[in-house]
Amino acid sequence: MEVNEKDVVREFEALSFSIGDQEMAFDVDYVEQVIDKPEITPVPKSKPMIKGIINLRGRIVPIIDLAGVLESHVDESKYESIVVVKYNDIEAGFLVESVKGVLRASTNEVEGIGSLEKYGDKSKGLIKKGNRLVVYLEVSKIIDEIAEEGL
Amino acid sequence: MMKDEYLGVFIDESREAIQRMNEILLDVEKNPENMEAINELFRLLHTLKGMAGTMEFNTMMTLCHRMENVLDEIRNGRMRLTEDIIDKLFKGADILDQMLDRIIDEGTDELIGVDVDGLIGHFESILNKSSMNNKKEKEEEEREKEREKEEKKEESEVIPIEITDELIHVAKEAKERGYRVFYIKVFLKEGAQLKSARIYLVLHKIEDMGGEILRTNPSIEEIEEEKFEWDVDLLIVAKQNSEKLSKALSSVSDIEKVIIREIDPEEIKKQQERKEESDKVEKAVKKSIPQESTSTVSSDYDKQRRKLSQTVRVDIEKLDTLMNLMGELVIARSRIVETLKKYSIKEIDESLAQLSRITLDLQNIVMKIRMVPIAYVFNRFPRMVRDLAKQMNKEVNFIIEGEDTELDRTFVEEIGDPILHLLRNAIDHGIESKEERIAKGKPPVGTIILSARHEGNNVVIEVSDDGRGLDRERIAKRAIERGLIDEARAATLPDEEIFQLIFLPGFSTRDQVTQVSGRGVGMDVVKNVVENLKGSVSIESQKDKGTKVTIRLPLTLAIIQALLVKVNSLVYAIPIASIDSTLKITKDDIQVVQDQEVVVIRREVIPIIKLWETLQIPHDVESESMNVVIVRVGNKKYGVVVDTLIGQDDIVIKSLGKLFRDVKEFSGGAVLGDGSIALILDVTNLTE
Repeated sequence: MEVNEKDVVREFEALSFSIGDQEMAFDVDYVEQVIDKPEITPVPKSKPMIKGIINLRGRIVPIIDLAGVLESHVDESKYESIVVVKYNDIEAGFLVESVKGVLRASTNEVEGIGSLEKYGDKSKGLIKKGNRLVVYLEVSKIIDEIAEEGL
Repeated sequence: MMKDEYLGVFIDESREAIQRMNEILLDVEKNPENMEAINELFRLLHTLKGMAGTMEFNTMMTLCHRMENVLDEIRNGRMRLTEDIIDKLFKGADILDQMLDRIIDEGTDELIGVDVDGLIGHFESILNKSSMNNKKEKEEEEREKEREKEEKKEESEVIPIEITDELIHVAKEAKERGYRVFYIKVFLKEGAQLKSARIYLVLHKIEDMGGEILRTNPSIEEIEEEKFEWDVDLLIVAKQNSEKLSKALSSVSDIEKVIIREIDPEEIKKQQERKEESDKVEKAVKKSIPQESTSTVSSDYDKQRRKLSQTVRVDIEKLDTLMNLMGELVIARSRIVETLKKYSIKEIDESLAQLSRITLDLQNIVMKIRMVPIAYVFNRFPRMVRDLAKQMNKEVNFIIEGEDTELDRTFVEEIGDPILHLLRNAIDHGIESKEERIAKGKPPVGTIILSARHEGNNVVIEVSDDGRGLDRERIAKRAIERGLIDEARAATLPDEEIFQLIFLPGFSTRDQVTQVSGRGVGMDVVKNVVENLKGSVSIESQKDKGTKVTIRLPLTLAIIQALLVKVNSLVYAIPIASIDSTLKITKDDIQVVQDQEVVVIRREVIPIIKLWETLQIPHDVESESMNVVIVRVGNKKYGVVVDTLIGQDDIVIKSLGKLFRDVKEFSGGAVLGDGSIALILDVTNLTE
């Protein structure tokens, strides 16, 4: 008998944060740490959604403007924190307004892509928690997309 | 699987063995009577065979085995070492090397498109020609008898595994389930490699047959750490009889022999106690410090090992991590120094100075760890030069100098091909045929010298030959044909500049394309590789005297000297290696030629690049006087205009990562003393 993947209910954890008026979340598996926004060194001629680089304990880490990737508009002065993620050996920081905390949800609380067509496969869907709506982002797709752009 | 853990060691050691084989073969080719060398070759192959067997690379093992057999015949005087055999042995070494490559890539030693069986067959037919069996069989028999004798002696000895009550209990239970208890002593062949892997295979075999390991001496941990000599004691339970066990275990390669005895643990215990009573004094010592008695044995062994080998293999990644941590430490220290400057606390000055000294020493040592002798690159060349010279019917005396010179390990992988190309050129274009040399009154055998040495902060590598030298006329002619230069200019240029033309892409003076060189790519590739490594290459030549190509490399890639400059509030770093000079100009010094801004410095017209324009960053004020950094790119000079010059500093280069692959203007970033980041300008790409 075939088992539909959707029928299998799985618990997961996601780090949620606010950006613009929206609440979004990354899978905690990707998240390395959250830091206060430090001085960012711009890299001329790099892609527009890359804000620059920071020195994270001696490592050079690119900082990505998540709103830019998702084509939303956010007042840059509101950015306070950076969520540092690691995927496929690429370490990167995402600018966010503030980090809300870790969200526990199960897969049956995630609604399919349909309503979020704008984000394409950069989002895995919408997490519904009571009246909270959280955009559940796919870190790997976002980073892959940036890495491949312009090549 | 545990086998994988040993794969790295296996590959490293096999590579070394094959490299050494090549060296010895070269030596043997010159002195076929050198029995010492033949013996070493035999031992190498024997070791290699054993290792391949353990790792279950059977084709490799068979090839080694055949080569070993042939060498055995030779060293016992039953066969003569002919040129054909040497060639075949060389071939064998090559195939073994290819097998290793394949093992690294695919995990198998089966080569595609290489006639390994043919070579093995060839060795077999060589062997068949010399009849030898009688004598050997006799020897075998004698050895067998001796073995039996030893075994008998062994049997009466007390088992060196302490039998505890718990063990007796386990053994009893096993017996009730139809198991038998065995004491097994495994002897490895002396000099065997990958000892713990072999013992692991033995243990694995026993478990495969449904047996169970009760106890080992030394302990499993010690076996894994190779803390044992050549023998290991085991106490096991199994259902098979001792013969079957013996047969199975003996099939593991490099096992000298296996002694198996079925035992009754209780009986053994009594026996042990009797022995202990007979020498009570010893027992007292043993019992009170049983732990230490084993540790003294192992530390003795450690000492022995240390004498044998004074090097440690370290994963390159670990070194890189160490290097990164070191960088962080240096930065952290600078930040402390910066912060404390504000307060000027006397008490802290001294300890801070000490911290600075220590970090500096540490940094130096870490840098040194990354350095490897250039011999790693050079070692493979004698063999290649021999093959090439043979192929082209030239006689070459190849000399290597300064192979102890150390350089950064990152260069090792890169610099091999350029040097090989230079050597090919030297053999193909440089060295004349024997007849030609005699006619010129030169020694009939040509000489090629490959040397390396340190010069200040550089490593200098030279390839020189005593061949015919570069032909100015032919180079000029070819350059004109290719439109690289016009005739009038060719006539006025000095020799050195004409010679530089051969580094241009698409240049090849050889009319006929040979298999070895003259494929139109070559010198420009050499130049590219060297320049990518922040080095430079130059050429000197004299007709009929020879040619010398000099490659200069920085000592390391990880830390470079750079000039820090500022545009707006941001700091950029320009590698000192590409800087010619710095100067101040005024706005009026800038002229426009063909829409290009230039300055004239010492009658040289130098295009200028305003950094903010090239990098497309907003820049408001253009002041009257400007700082210009003159950089060299190939043979051309450019002036890079910046706001301010900050000064020279040693910086640790870090990659910007995959997300910046599209940004060609920077070769990386560096964390400065105050924790801020300076982008490192890639001068070559900046000027394009």
